[in-house]
Amino acid sequence: MISRNPTPSRAAGPDWFTRRIVLVTGKGGVGRTTVTAAMARAAAAAGRKVLVTAIGEPGGDYLPLARIYGRDVLPAEPEPLEPGVWGCLLWSRAGHRLFLERVLPTSVLVGAAMRSRSIRRLLDAAPSFHEMGLFYRLLTLIVLRGADGEPEFDLVLVDMPATGHSLALTGLPDILLQLMPTGPIADLLREGQSYLNDPALAAACVVTLPETLPVSESLELIDGLRTTRVPVGAVLVNRVPVDPFDADERTALQAAVNGHVLFGMHRFRSLDGTAAAIERLERHVRGPIREIPEIRMPGDDLVDRVAETLAAGAP
Amino acid sequence: MTDDLNGLIDHARIAVCCGAGGVGKTTVATGIALAAARRGRKVLALTVDPSRRLAETLGVRRNLPAPVPVPRERLVAAGITEPVDLDTWMLDPQLVADRVVRRFASSPEQQRRLMDNRVYRQVSRMVAGMQEYTAMEAVHGFMDEGRYDLLVLDTPPSRHALDFLEGPRRLQRFFDGRIFRLFIPAENASPIRRAATRLIGKVLGVALGPGNYEELQEFFVSFSELFSRVTGNAARMQEALADPETVGFLLVTSVAPEARADALFFRRKTAELGMPFAGFLLNRSQARLAGRRFPDESLFGGDPTPVQRSALAKLQALAEVERAEMERDQGLLEQLRDQAGEGSFAVALPDIPGGAHDLRALMTLSEALVEEEWQGTTPDSSSPGLAAPA
Repeated sequence: MISRNPTPSRAAGPDWFTRRIVLVTGKGGVGRTTVTAAMARAAAAAGRKVLVTAIGEPGGDYLPLARIYGRDVLPAEPEPLEPGVWGCLLWSRAGHRLFLERVLPTSVLVGAAMRSRSIRRLLDAAPSFHEMGLFYRLLTLIVLRGADGEPEFDLVLVDMPATGHSLALTGLPDILLQLMPTGPIADLLREGQSYLNDPALAAACVVTLPETLPVSESLELIDGLRTTRVPVGAVLVNRVPVDPFDADERTALQAAVNGHVLFGMHRFRSLDGTAAAIERLERHVRGPIREIPEIRMPGDDLVDRVAETLAAGAP
Repeated sequence: MTDDLNGLIDHARIAVCCGAGGVGKTTVATGIALAAARRGRKVLALTVDPSRRLAETLGVRRNLPAPVPVPRERLVAAGITEPVDLDTWMLDPQLVADRVVRRFASSPEQQRRLMDNRVYRQVSRMVAGMQEYTAMEAVHGFMDEGRYDLLVLDTPPSRHALDFLEGPRRLQRFFDGRIFRLFIPAENASPIRRAATRLIGKVLGVALGPGNYEELQEFFVSFSELFSRVTGNAARMQEALADPETVGFLLVTSVAPEARADALFFRRKTAELGMPFAGFLLNRSQARLAGRRFPDESLFGGDPTPVQRSALAKLQALAEVERAEMERDQGLLEQLRDQAGEGSFAVALPDIPGGAHDLRALMTLSEALVEEEWQGTTPDSSSPGLAAPA
């Protein structure tokens, strides 16, 4: 079992710093992967040993998260990616193997099972087995211990897939427990829930943009997460444009630009929508809302700057 | 079929919108449906697993048993006064799965047994490929009926646009009869098959726990017969979707590098699978800002006040950013045109401030879709304003 008391000296920092497992969720295109990498870098800079992971398979399609570390995919087992940050794939088949090792009496049987083409096909395509493999793999990474018996990683950060798939994963235990209330899988699901539903240990952070549709979708996602009982941590509003205008300047411009088709007007007009979107989040979200300003720079520098912003968001 | 977007809107029978999550696929699909309906075609916009807000935008409910027209008063309020024939259907995957069972069950008894199965009730949302399959199934049903001139399918959300094409294949692989048989003990099986069945029974019996494996076996038995028929249908549907005379696959992408990488991968894959690729839609781009003027003191008609002067300086900074984005996006559009190749198109769509969150914004988008100048020609880089001094 993992320690349920966060080390006090490490508790200083943004709200998600104190958790052991953070699921980073959000619709495609909101910058979720960049934010995940920045959270990892910020936590590593604060002295925590971090593991980042994302769903994928060895030799599979490229992973956006791996690209940040100059790779196409992540390794199957945790490897250092940058100072303080380790990474590995959340690979369903690794989860299947580890689970069978846990429940089957002999390793010969595990080997035979994993070599069997029909069992592999079943695990790849049958209802929920893929998600179950991911779920178990995540659990093994959370409880992984080093030689000293202490948890191997202080923080496990998951770059979650698109909204619908995120909920399929977090909602899995409830659905499967209805199907099979007893047995080894039921035990595993309950164990997983004891971590993922514990607000002292786990949080789902929702990344969004300060625009009408992304905010609507985030509010739906938060509702969905509540039904799966995963605690919702911070909402991270990414790419918030900096409003350079004071009230007088805004009034002066509003009158003057009417009827003109100008460069700059798209951004000028979008500023009202930005403020409205953030106000709407504030009305509907109970937890903390953190704004990440729009930063116009490429890849690695961007991760650095977002990491600085996140670290500065300490309570 | 013609090789521009207008041709597709006027003549296609099926437009399939694919794209990675977050590129605005649903919005674009709805915009295409609206554009075609405004040109007098009978259109059905079909969305699987839609978000609540699209239903709100269109003023229809989700999970209805059949398509419904977009309410007239909504259209009128958005400024669409001419009569349009636009139906929409927002499907719950479970609902379509039930339709599949009703359609393929061999008897009312089998239908009841399947629909009551605990596993079935839980998994129809989760089976890899089920959502994609159900979308194809719905398309196929309407194609046979001939009720609509054009069917616009918004594919289920996925990181890779490809899941839509691969999903049914994955499902087929699983419901392949040979695999099923291994889970079901048979008296006259070969020794090898009996050994395989024993291994599977032992592994899953332990892994799933007592009683649960039997439950799963029963699910397999109940479904194997049904799905052997469904599988044949999936193959027929893929064939129907491969007809370049009636079908166009559209790939919606954004300016983000990952979205474009997915787009190119998709382009190759459609060719491999023999699916008729129609074109790229570069959504939420700034490529169409040509024709804008750079803001200067003339805005204030004379000598600006200090407040006006500082406001202008800040607006000019924003203008610089927008102009750089426009140039970047025009370059991206050119690349997509090259990559689309002969007979296919790449069209840029504007970034609508605040997103296409109401029907009026959707209408703006649908009008942008059919503008001639964006249909295939290079934007005129000598448009007024482009060359204005900073």
